[in-house]
Formats: sequence, C-alpha cells, structure tokens
Amino acid sequence: MKKAYIGIDKKLARWGWIFITPSLLFFSLFSFYPILNAAYTSFFRKNILSLKPPTFTGLKNYIYLLKSPDFWNSIRATFVFTLGTFIPLVVFSLLLAVMILLVNKKSQKYLQLAYYAPAVLSSVVAAVIWLSIFNPRGLGNQWLNFFMNTPGIDHQWLANSFMVQFSTILVYFWKYIGYFVVIFIAGLSAIPGSLYEAARIDGADNWQSFWRITFPLLQPTVVLVSVMSMLQCLKTFSTQYLFVQSGSPQAPINVITLNIYNTGIRDHQIGRSSAMSIILFLIMLFFTWFQFKASKADSVSY
Amino acid sequence: MIRTRLDSPGKSTLSPISILIHLLLLGALIFTLIPILFMFTASMMPRKDILKMPYRWIPQGFEVQNFIKAIAGNDGSFIFIRNYINSILVSGIVTFSTVLLASLTGYGLAKFKFKGRNFVFLAIMATMMIPFEAIMIPLYLVTTKLHLQNSYGGLTLPFLVNAFGVFMMRQYLLPFPDEFLDATRIDGAGEIRIFWHVVLPNCAPAIATLSILTFRSQWDNLLWPLLIAQSEKMKTLPLYIVKFAAEKYTDEGAMMAVAVLASIPMLVLFFTMSNYFVSGASVFSSRKG
Repeated sequence: MKKAYIGIDKKLARWGWIFITPSLLFFSLFSFYPILNAAYTSFFRKNILSLKPPTFTGLKNYIYLLKSPDFWNSIRATFVFTLGTFIPLVVFSLLLAVMILLVNKKSQKYLQLAYYAPAVLSSVVAAVIWLSIFNPRGLGNQWLNFFMNTPGIDHQWLANSFMVQFSTILVYFWKYIGYFVVIFIAGLSAIPGSLYEAARIDGADNWQSFWRITFPLLQPTVVLVSVMSMLQCLKTFSTQYLFVQSGSPQAPINVITLNIYNTGIRDHQIGRSSAMSIILFLIMLFFTWFQFKASKADSVSY
Repeated sequence: MIRTRLDSPGKSTLSPISILIHLLLLGALIFTLIPILFMFTASMMPRKDILKMPYRWIPQGFEVQNFIKAIAGNDGSFIFIRNYINSILVSGIVTFSTVLLASLTGYGLAKFKFKGRNFVFLAIMATMMIPFEAIMIPLYLVTTKLHLQNSYGGLTLPFLVNAFGVFMMRQYLLPFPDEFLDATRIDGAGEIRIFWHVVLPNCAPAIATLSILTFRSQWDNLLWPLLIAQSEKMKTLPLYIVKFAAEKYTDEGAMMAVAVLASIPMLVLFFTMSNYFVSGASVFSSRKG
C-alpha cells in the first residue's frame, strides 16, 4: 500500500519535470546563457567583422565608457527621459484614476477604454503619428501657438535639443497614461469598502478617509507603478530611433539602448556594447531590488 | 465604489468640484484621442488639407492615393504586403508557442510537487529582471552563428516563451482543484490528456489575455527585427514604417495611411476583446518598452 503511494508521487514528480523542461531549456539558452555571455564579452575587445580572436582587456571597456562623454551623454539622456516621463505618468495616472472612480459607473468603463486606446497602437505607430503632429506646419505648432497666443512661431519640436527631448517624453506619456490608469483603478478597487464604512461610522469625512485609508493602502501600488514605469522608461528605444532616423538630432535623445544598438551593430564594437548592456542591466536590477524592498516594507494586509 | 465613499449623499452633481472633475476628464480624453483621430482623418486627406490652418477634422473626401503610396512603398515594390504577412506570421508563431509553453510550465509548477520546484520557479522569475536590451548582443551573435538571420526562426527564437507568461499561467492554475485532477487520473486519463482536455480548456480567460499581450508585444517589436532582418523580404511592419517615415517624412497623408494599416489588426482586437486588454494591463506586467 505504502509503496504504491510513493510510486504515484514519484510518477507525478516526473511529469512535473516533463512539463517544465521545454521552458527550462529555453530560459537557459535564451536568458541565462546570454546574460552570462554579455558579462563575459564585456571584458574583451571584440569586433564583429574582424577575424582576429577577441583579446582579453579586463575592465578596459568599462573604464573607456566611464571616460567617454558620449556614454555619459547617454546616461544623461536616459535619466532625463526617465525622470521626465515617469513622474508625470505616475502623478497624472493616479489623479485620473481617482477622478474616474468619482464619476458614474457607466462612464467609468468607457473612460478607461478611451484612455487605454493609445497603448493599443504600436510604439512605432505612436511615434509616426506624433512625428506628423510635430511637423513645423503641423498641429503641434498650431495648438501651442493658439494656447500661448504666439501666432506663427515654429517651436522646433524635432530640432531644438530641449524640444526634441520633450517631444519623446510627450509621445511616451501619451502612449502609457491609460495603461497606468487601469493599474491604479485595479489597486483602488482592491481596497475593501468595509474600511470606509467603518471610518464613516467613526465620523470620518471624505478627506479623512482619503488621506487615512486610500492613500496609505494605495502606497504599494504607487511604488509598483513607479518602478514599473521607471523600468520601461529606462528601456525606451522605438521613439528615439524613429525620430533620429527621420532627421532629429541624435545627441539629446541618444538613450542608452540606442547607444548599445549603434555601438554594437553599427560600429561593430561588441565588447563595448556588452559592457554598456551590463551597466543598463545593473541599473535596472538596482531599481527592481529597490522595488522589492520598498514594497515589502509597505505591504499591508487587510 | 469610491463614489459612495467620497461623495457625501445628497450632494448635487453640479457642484464646482464635480464640474472641475468632468472638465479634467474631458481634457484628458481629448489629449488621448485626438492624435488617433488625427491619424485616421489625415490618412484620408491630401497634403494641402493636412497642413491647413485650422485643421479640418472632417475629411472632404477620401484620398486613395495615400493608401496606394503606403502599400506600394517608396519604390513601388509592394514589399509592404510581404512585411505585413511577416508581422502576422512572427506574432502568430510567438503567440502560439508562448501560450503552449507557458501553460505547460505554469501547470507543471502549480500542480506537481517535486524537488527543486521553488528554485525553478524563482529562476524563471529572475529572468524577468534581465532586460532584452542587455542580452540582445549575445542573442544576435548566437543567431548569426546558427545562420538564422533573415529567417522566421531567427525572428521568433528568443521569444518562444517568457517568464511573465509562466507566472501568469501558474497564478491562474494555483487555485485549480487537485481533487478534480486526481479524479480524472483515477478514471484512467493520461497526464498529457489531462493537460490538453481538462487544464487547457479551463484556462481560456488567462490564455486570451496572454495571447493578446504576446501578440501585441511582437507586433510592436522593432529592436530585434532591426538586428536580424536585413533583407527587405524578411522585414516586419515596424521596420517598414521606420524606413517609410525616414524617406517620406514630408508626406503626412501616406505616413498616416501606413500607420492606419499597421494599427487595424490591433484596433479590431481591441474593440472585440477590450476586456482582455484591460485585464492584461492590471496583471502587473513589467514587460515591453
């Protein structure tokens, strides 16, 4: 009796392994191996086209990068873009989510869908639409001139180095705002209504319930959304690539992924671009770790 | 829900705060929808109308020329059609394999007890922290070594499954009753049969959500095809758009026509399955830039 039972257990364990093996092989080949390989390659001087075997150079690639103004410019561009995008994204999506929940139920669903619509389009399409809006004779100038009462002025959305950074931020903000609104609404709806009833019985008014209940209980969602949007911003590529291809100056928006691509694929400097990839990886790892810590410290049970 | 919490009963809906809220929501609505509306209207207008001030939101006619240019391309090669089919094929293959492998793995991790299960799960979750951008160079080297550039194999290989999909399917299957599985086992069903006929059909909502997320992320993928597809024939839609935009920067109508054509599959999906899009977003996905 006992023996048969163990047999079934073992058999099931074997099936468990059978079910997970294909994915496990996949992840080993296409995630773990490449990241180790990238780390390894980053210590070599390696050129795709050259037939010479790569030479070990230790930390030279990293030292080169740390001394390279071009690399620091990428770090700057990436952080300007990330900070400029994720802070307004979090603030405005939270604001919109709270406001959506204040209107009647029927409009809530349609509003969510309407705000979400840009996220459905692909990022290249988003960039192309805005490329036309930012045309010197396009809608961007028309609207801005209308609101600022400055007729006939070209704001150089895609040419001026400040404006081109702002333009990429605007595209990204537009595309992702609805996405985060949906997440915030999910977070807000997860707060049990009984807490509010209890507060009301205790005599709390609306402002008090918001600041004492909603706000603290929503903090994990805020942290999550912040880090998620931050990680996404750090990886941005499509908008910047398309803008540069269409004639915008590269330097202001030469984000780190664009630099990795150009260094590795266009300039064939595999070692150097691997080192850059590892630095990007470490930056993102830091923020993920930070998220983990922050969400643990904030986690509440109700 | 919040409505009952924050609105004190009996408050008139026309209070200044309520008006302000509605105005702000309306402003945000205009901000998100106007560019999409612009895409559609401009795709139907001749250039002189697009740049007219003020912009006329209702097209006077339908400028077929824009769509002809979009499909024929800059050189009249009609490579657009091939690139479109490539995008559908690549997104389709990746979606199919992601759903299959993620549900297999998710099921294995959720419903079978074996040594090292938690370690395997954590290891798979750890890959979520590896951004694609950090491993694209080694992936590119592997793919070129295997001579898979300019092939569907090369375009799809790195995306056949992802950690997020595994996570999602596992979470979905965790509450699935073990007794039910055991009962079918006692009835003599094999494990593969159970997976195919019992587990998969019960995962339909999760599979729909995962399919949409995966399809969209592939439809959107620019970076990897940029590395792998050099030949015009193997390029995907995003690459076509970039090239078209770079060369036809001044022809807004044609550019918007390309954008419309590229968006149609996603918009159709969105209008028919919007619930899955929205639920996909709230399953805290941390993918895609």
